[in-house]
Amino acid sequence: MKTIEQFKFENKIAVEIREMDLFYGNFQALKKINMTIPENRITAMIGPSGCGKSTLLKSLNRMNDLVEGCRVEGVIQIGGQNIYDKAMNLSMLRKNVGMVFQRPNPFAMSVYDNIVYGPRTFGIKKKADLDEIVERSLKGAAMWEELKDRLNKSALGLSGGQQQRLCIARALAVEPQILLMDEPTSALDPISTGKIEELCTELKKDVTIVMVTHNMQQATRISDKTAFFLLGEMVEMGDTHKIFSMPENKKTEDYITGRFG
Amino acid sequence: MVKSENKSEKAAKIVFITAACFSIVAVFAIVLFIFASAFPALQEIGTFKFLFGSKWFPKQDEYGLLPMIVATLLVTVSALLIGGAFGIFTAIFVVYFCPKKLKGFFNQIIVLLAGIPSIIYGFFGMIVLSPALKSLFNAESGNGLLASALILGLMILPTVTSLTKNALESVPRSYSEGSLALGASREQTIFRIDLPAAKTGVLSALTLGAGRAIGETMAVLVVCGNSAAFPDGLFSPIRPLTVNIVNEMGYAMGLHRQALFATGLVLLVFIFLLNGFLAFIKREKKEKDEANRTLVGGGAGEYIYKVRGMGSKILSVVSCLIAAVVVLVLGILIGYILVNGLPEISLDFLFGKPTYKTPTLLGAFVSTGWIILLSLLIAIPLGVGAAIFLVEYTKPGSKLVKVIRVFIDTLSGIPSIVFGLFGMIAFCAGGKSLFAGALTLSLMILPTVIRSVEESLLAVQNSVREGSLALGATKVRTIFKVVLPSALSGVVTAIILSVGRIVSESAALIFTAGSLPMVPSSPLDSGSTFAVLMYNFTAENPNMEAAYATATVLLMLVFLVNLAAYFCEKKWKKNK
Repeated sequence: MKTIEQFKFENKIAVEIREMDLFYGNFQALKKINMTIPENRITAMIGPSGCGKSTLLKSLNRMNDLVEGCRVEGVIQIGGQNIYDKAMNLSMLRKNVGMVFQRPNPFAMSVYDNIVYGPRTFGIKKKADLDEIVERSLKGAAMWEELKDRLNKSALGLSGGQQQRLCIARALAVEPQILLMDEPTSALDPISTGKIEELCTELKKDVTIVMVTHNMQQATRISDKTAFFLLGEMVEMGDTHKIFSMPENKKTEDYITGRFG
Repeated sequence: MVKSENKSEKAAKIVFITAACFSIVAVFAIVLFIFASAFPALQEIGTFKFLFGSKWFPKQDEYGLLPMIVATLLVTVSALLIGGAFGIFTAIFVVYFCPKKLKGFFNQIIVLLAGIPSIIYGFFGMIVLSPALKSLFNAESGNGLLASALILGLMILPTVTSLTKNALESVPRSYSEGSLALGASREQTIFRIDLPAAKTGVLSALTLGAGRAIGETMAVLVVCGNSAAFPDGLFSPIRPLTVNIVNEMGYAMGLHRQALFATGLVLLVFIFLLNGFLAFIKREKKEKDEANRTLVGGGAGEYIYKVRGMGSKILSVVSCLIAAVVVLVLGILIGYILVNGLPEISLDFLFGKPTYKTPTLLGAFVSTGWIILLSLLIAIPLGVGAAIFLVEYTKPGSKLVKVIRVFIDTLSGIPSIVFGLFGMIAFCAGGKSLFAGALTLSLMILPTVIRSVEESLLAVQNSVREGSLALGATKVRTIFKVVLPSALSGVVTAIILSVGRIVSESAALIFTAGSLPMVPSSPLDSGSTFAVLMYNFTAENPNMEAAYATATVLLMLVFLVNLAAYFCEKKWKKNK
């Protein structure tokens, strides 16, 4: 049985995107994207709806493969490996590049079974090991105290915010190196949003986070780098405080000051 | 003027309520009539002795049903194992692995399998399956437990497949996305996330399949071996409850006849138990108060992740293979009958004057036509009325609707042989007649009519109703002039489905409309439909040539019905 290795990051670079184009059938959704995502940082992707930021996020763990007619050209390297290479193992990629979706999507199982689903998928069976993983993941998602007495309850009975943090814990259970978050708080109330933002800041010690967000305050609050997208192109990327205080591009400035979008 | 309109509004509502409550009346009537006819037997024989006695010798007035009960349970469980497994895997194939271009083809295959008359399945079992089993296993006879289970498994397969398919298709996409994003393979996701999430649907599919297997008569009649002894092996001859009724009812008198009604009562009890179970699994689950899990310490802390999923890969291949087997079996069934049956068809056999020596199908054309016409004339107005009441006159979640729905479901689950018994005592005071058969069948098709009309009424947008009401039209006028015309597709679908059901029905008609190949001169005469003649040619008065030819005609009719349904669906989908 093949063992799943981790990606080896060099020079503090997690993801390197070069001259990447993405098509849905004849429609070009992303144009000539060039981007470098640093290790152990939170990178925010902002831009108006339909600008391609979610599409880009989903190409980082190849969830776009599920979309019919989707075609990627150019290079996306993680730890120096081109993930669109034929030899790329999807299980290896997605185990190391976890994802949290816009709407919480816990499985219709208990809290415990939700978390151990990933590890079990990769052949971890011993109860002691699974128990340890559950505890570590829930602690990692800062919800151990809340849930330690409800491990056998159905995950669907949790509140929306708890469900989303459970999904983060579920993603953490397989020890990803990168965590992709697709507007993870857009379906949540402000308190839950705050908890998740706090969690992200905690998590970046161990995990590289790439987050799509519609909420510009959120980007300023938690992200280190921000990339601005418009009509399938990346207009500008840089340190968050710089993008929001003195953007180089006029379009970026218009967007962050609320003139369109 | 205004007043009289009010009156007609009220009258209309009463008519609709009556139509809707008809299902309740029907179920009660069936239970009461069967019970009343069975009661003397239970009293005389003793309920316990009847249920648990192991000897069935009508000539010596010994009536012990246990061997038949055991046979029914055994054959149902085995059919469920075979048909259930094949059905679930076929559904998995159609939903996940079937190439897009073949999806329509497979859906039609499932519809076709569901539409083939049970007597044809029995015939197929008799001429192909049993001989094959006999030579394959070197058995004395191919008939018996295994043959019955295989044929019943094939028959419940479409039920299990289509319901499992619906359940799998309604699993939220977000589940599988969540699993794929964790690195699970597509196959792992299907078998570990989607299938468990569809568990309730799969379980109801199996329950309905079990109901179908328990109540099936004609398909097992000719392959079961028909011996009222305890089964002791795969090839031991058995006699399920349904076969017990259909075999002996023709000549039974007095206590014997009552004992057969009691057999029907036992069947009904089984079906009601299954219905209860179905309601139990469908009811909304409250969160269970389970003991919390306590974690033991001592995990390694560092783990080796491995690429797994061979098991699910194998299961995926299995599902493709099974789907291929299903197509193959259907192909053999149709091919074998057509190849042997087409040469037997002649103008004379179709439309010639029948005699006892040379039966023809002329009578079947007339009888089937009459029964279709009469049943539709009764069931369509009743069903449309009931559907109108359920959709237009009730609030969602109303108790009355829930009760009515339970009874409609119950009615649709009652085995056709029990409908036959009921029709025999309720409608055949003046002897068997096409009219009595049509009355019986109209009860059987009523649930289907109500359901498909209801669906199309629900699809009519509320704004259409409001538009008419806002112009000052009354509710009844709105329903008849605006809502019903837009729901016409449902009525036509109901008619097509009903025709299909009527054409393939035989068990309910044998004791109500008759089984001889004579040409009826009026609806009050007895006469037999194609399916009943088919039964006559296979079981009562074996005549292979006639059986092949009739099977071919029946298959053609089923093709026609399916074709009509297919084109209607296509047309309406386009219009929407």
